[in-house]
Amino acid sequence: MKVRFWGVRGSIPSPGPTTQKYGGNTACIELRVGPENRLIIIDAGSGIRSLGNALMANDLPKGPINADIFLSHTHWDHIMGYPFFTPIYIPGTKLRVHGPVSFEDDPLEEVVGGQMKYRYFPINLGELASDVEYFRIKEDPDIDLGDGLRLSTKLLNHPITALGYRFEYDGRVVCTCYDTEPFRNLFITDPDDPAYDEAMAFEGNEVAVEQNMAIEQFFAGADLLICDSQYTDAEYSSRINWGHTTMEYAIGAANRAGVKKLAMFHHDPDRTDAILDDFAKTYCQPGKYGDTEVFFAREGMEVEL
Amino acid sequence: MAIDKERQRRNIERFIAKMPSLSTTVGKVMEICSRTDASPNELNKVISLDPVLTGQVLRLINSAYYSLVNKVTSLTRAITMLGMNTVKNMALSTAIIRSVAGTKKSKALPTTKFWAHSIGAGVSAKLLGEVKEVPVMEREELFLAGLLHDLGKVPFGDEYIEVLNIAKFEQLPLYQVERDIMGIDHQEVGLLIADKWKLNKVITKCIGSHHSVGPHDGGHGQQLALVALGNIYANILDHGYAGNPFPLEEEVGRLLDLAGLSQEQFCGIGGRVVEEIQKAEIFLKI
Repeated sequence: MKVRFWGVRGSIPSPGPTTQKYGGNTACIELRVGPENRLIIIDAGSGIRSLGNALMANDLPKGPINADIFLSHTHWDHIMGYPFFTPIYIPGTKLRVHGPVSFEDDPLEEVVGGQMKYRYFPINLGELASDVEYFRIKEDPDIDLGDGLRLSTKLLNHPITALGYRFEYDGRVVCTCYDTEPFRNLFITDPDDPAYDEAMAFEGNEVAVEQNMAIEQFFAGADLLICDSQYTDAEYSSRINWGHTTMEYAIGAANRAGVKKLAMFHHDPDRTDAILDDFAKTYCQPGKYGDTEVFFAREGMEVEL
Repeated sequence: MAIDKERQRRNIERFIAKMPSLSTTVGKVMEICSRTDASPNELNKVISLDPVLTGQVLRLINSAYYSLVNKVTSLTRAITMLGMNTVKNMALSTAIIRSVAGTKKSKALPTTKFWAHSIGAGVSAKLLGEVKEVPVMEREELFLAGLLHDLGKVPFGDEYIEVLNIAKFEQLPLYQVERDIMGIDHQEVGLLIADKWKLNKVITKCIGSHHSVGPHDGGHGQQLALVALGNIYANILDHGYAGNPFPLEEEVGRLLDLAGLSQEQFCGIGGRVVEEIQKAEIFLKI
């Protein structure tokens, strides 16, 4: 399997001279699998535009584009590039878009395609020349994607339903775990608070611990884990419930789970190259975390597995 | 067979008197759900006071909609894993549908088909509201108003079969035959229940006037027209059955004008209605 990052930023694209090295595009990852070079795309953030251009130049001359797009969730930074993904306008292109939908939301096609209405964009979803199918997916321990590629999905902790993806092929594992925040006890734990309930406080804690362990088991032994690392521990206290993980937590979890390479991902839009380079001096020293190699994901970076 | 109008009215009034009140849990769930600052502790407590509701919410979470690998076995777990908003929404829908569905079995209007029609009307009204860009909270109200618009048919007994037959053979609007035969129509009966349950103004208005929408309905003209159109849409779709398959064409045109919708917009909600109905029907199965 081969992974290439086309967008690594969180929240909103952040172009400019201070983000040139790591890149300013939002989430998009290209995964190539097997001898046929099967194309899997994870997320359709602004990075998918450049991926589309690369496909037009390199893949289309060899035959129609055929791909599966897996959306981690439908927040805007993860779907905003979709209308700019040129292959959707090319007759013959076959796309299968998979993603989770929260209970109170519309069908996936509406959520993703809703941005292609004349008020937002000059082309309507119904006018696409390509053949696109939409599949709502749920938490599932084993999905057969064919050609020996298997997928499992895991419910993460984010304000809307978000899924982590674990792709396994030929004994290799690539796993995504974003956008997510470690589960925590949401219930009142102060016994002096009038609304305190001992059973709720106890169980709230148990469930949080258990779910965090379940996520670690989900990415256990991965050759590459692409994990939410938007904040630092120092920043976290003012960003609780925003649905993101800290670098320190991601490193600890990856290390405990025996992950071989950890790509820290979903960089805060305010992080400049200088700041990330500075963090890298602290967090990415070779050998610091035993067998887990830690690095910040960078646009254009390729990881061969 | 002539139906004794006086006796019929007494039967209906007796039935309504015996109907359970909208439970205090439902009231409290509605209150918590409309507040943005409600805490996880409060939500948990309100739902857990009602063990049946708790069970239904958990079954819903464990239904095909989420189908998590590990079953969710407690509210605390549900709130931790799926968040406040999801649990709030599920509790509210479950509580309301539970209060109205399953109150009675009728040969004239089989329960499942009746509620399928009601859900269809609610979903259609909500989607038409979306087309009209009404605010999100008001769309939920349109759903509830559509869901409950035929509430007044619930107390009718088996003699209602005759009313349905006459309406069918003579191709007359149902409420008209109800008045002729029984001396009261389902809008009036619905108002009696709405009053007992202290439902809000918009929902009450839609229950009482969905077959007689005028241009000046006390500021609720648009909602009323949308719910009346939702009802017609559910009939056209032939999903479920509440006995009223004859919408008059001129009535549709008049309602569209009142709602400010075009024929194309009305027809355009098509595909999504079926999907939304399937989603809502999860509630009826639990």
